[in-house]
Amino acid sequence: MKKWRVLLATLMLTFVAACGNEEAVEFSDTFEAAAESAEGSTVNLYMWGGDEGINSYIDDYVAPRLEESYDVELNRVAMDTAEFVRQLSLDKKADRQVGTIDVVWINGDNFRNAKEAGLLRDGLMERVPNATLLNETAQQSDAGTPTDDLELAWGNVQFILHYDAAKVDNPPESFEELRRWTEDNPGRFTYPEVTDFTGNAFVRHLLYERYGDELNKNATVEESFWDDLKAWSPNLWKEGQTYPKTLEQLDQLYASGEVWMTMGFNERRAEAEVKEGIFPKETRALLLDHSIASTHFLAIPFNSPNPDGALVLIQELLSPEAQLVKQGPDYWGDGTSLDLTKLDANDQKAFEELGDGVTYPNSEQLLERSIPDYGPNIIDAVREEWPSVAK
Amino acid sequence: MLRSSVALSILVSFLPLAALFFLGMEALGTDWGALLTDETWRDSLFTTLYVVSVSTIVSLVLGTWVARTVVNQRWRFTSTILKIPMFVPHIAAAYLFWLLFSGSNGFWGIESNERDYVTVILTYIWKETPFVFLMMIGTYEQLNRGYVETAKTLQLSPYAQFKHAEFPFLIKPLLDSTWILIAFISFAYEVPALLGVTYPKLIGVLAYERLSTGLYLEATEPYAVALIWTCFVGFGVFVSYVMTASVRRRIERGVRR
Repeated sequence: MKKWRVLLATLMLTFVAACGNEEAVEFSDTFEAAAESAEGSTVNLYMWGGDEGINSYIDDYVAPRLEESYDVELNRVAMDTAEFVRQLSLDKKADRQVGTIDVVWINGDNFRNAKEAGLLRDGLMERVPNATLLNETAQQSDAGTPTDDLELAWGNVQFILHYDAAKVDNPPESFEELRRWTEDNPGRFTYPEVTDFTGNAFVRHLLYERYGDELNKNATVEESFWDDLKAWSPNLWKEGQTYPKTLEQLDQLYASGEVWMTMGFNERRAEAEVKEGIFPKETRALLLDHSIASTHFLAIPFNSPNPDGALVLIQELLSPEAQLVKQGPDYWGDGTSLDLTKLDANDQKAFEELGDGVTYPNSEQLLERSIPDYGPNIIDAVREEWPSVAK
Repeated sequence: MLRSSVALSILVSFLPLAALFFLGMEALGTDWGALLTDETWRDSLFTTLYVVSVSTIVSLVLGTWVARTVVNQRWRFTSTILKIPMFVPHIAAAYLFWLLFSGSNGFWGIESNERDYVTVILTYIWKETPFVFLMMIGTYEQLNRGYVETAKTLQLSPYAQFKHAEFPFLIKPLLDSTWILIAFISFAYEVPALLGVTYPKLIGVLAYERLSTGLYLEATEPYAVALIWTCFVGFGVFVSYVMTASVRRRIERGVRR
């Protein structure tokens, strides 16, 4: 009987504790004070976890460094971006001022949603010293949404396809040629569903092929565009009966040789995969007519339980050393968000010496064909209308 | 029984009502007309009904038949082996089937990720047959052989023997298993997410997708669908139990005597 009472009491207490509205934890005044108050604490980084290279960059490189230089423990939580945005918006609804998430990796429509719902803390520029090193153009806007100091640029990448040169003799050079190539090689190409970040971006490239910048002014996609896309689907993997649910699934199909091309943001993403023998040895970059440039960001939620720890983590992630290793071929290959001209000579040299990998595209061509992303309303439009293609 | 544990059990049994209440709250503001005519939801509902009914019926028949055979033939070993799939989580089972069937030509001509959802149904049958088997075997072991002997003496056909001497005792466990399976399979996520197709998605997958993608973040539709489905299952449970109440009561009294 007594045991039960204790159990019940504990249960009730948990509920009561969960219901109580604690005060939000505020930032310390200066970065030095923040670093001091963060000592010995744990900071929770919520991020998409679908890439081994990225995960091991955080776990094997960043976490030990953070522990060593700031005595802060890093806890990486793998979660789809939209999902933690959703969790934060539920927290907001419930007025939960002390949550569980300290730093989020975010961009695009998810950032727009988070911004509109007021889920992020502002004033990051002045609080993170390394933010002064950031590339100002990249920092300004996130796929058409002004960042308004709610997030700091973490990396800069471009969209690229990769193909297996052992199987593909004459790689296509434009989206039109890609279409013709799939006619000759049915079932060897596909793209992820448009609920997936990458799949949506691929369709936006096709939109750009037809509409160019026009779509920004007048966001209506003609029915014929979707009809054409549907007409293409019988030449895709599984005859277009189904599409990979995520980029990870497409990468898996590519790794097993079932499809001969894959794609993704980040022109250097295949290097580590090839090195580890996951992707075919002959994997090469495939740059088509144009490539969307995209910046991804770090932000701190309104109810972060350890905002000082969050500042320390972001400071560390934006340091030239961490950015250099991030761009290198060992873990991730993610382009730096820093403005190299703002770095000292040694750091600049180190970035220049990183050189090219065999799976990298020609960097001049890549820059030439770079296009800005459409705004979130196009992402939404693709999500809404594409399902008719998959029917 | 201790008073506190009674209180706790009552509290727990009210939880589904709380769930209904919250679903209702979240579903407020749904355009019900638009929801019911939305083609994506409708296709998803029909596919879900198809997958649920085929998997449930086949699992029930197989599970019952195996339990009957195991008891009649005294196959102890078989009964141990049959329990193995019970210990494999659904997500692992889905992955196993995906590994088996996902190759370019599938396996035995069956491919995963196709619109007939064959591999999804197979996974559920593999997972749920042992469950039905466990639900039924207890009943079969306790079954009064006297009725079967009587039926045989009366020279009834095998089907009539089953119908009169066995089936009445199976109604309760069958009904329990049926609704557990329906409720579980209809809104499960992992198996159809891995083995299903882009269109039409099963209702659990579609609801989750609508809940978690940016475009629909404020949407009330998934909650409305969950609410409708929960009410539908609840109504089905209620009606089927009321309709069989008198038979079940008679059987239970008979068994206890």
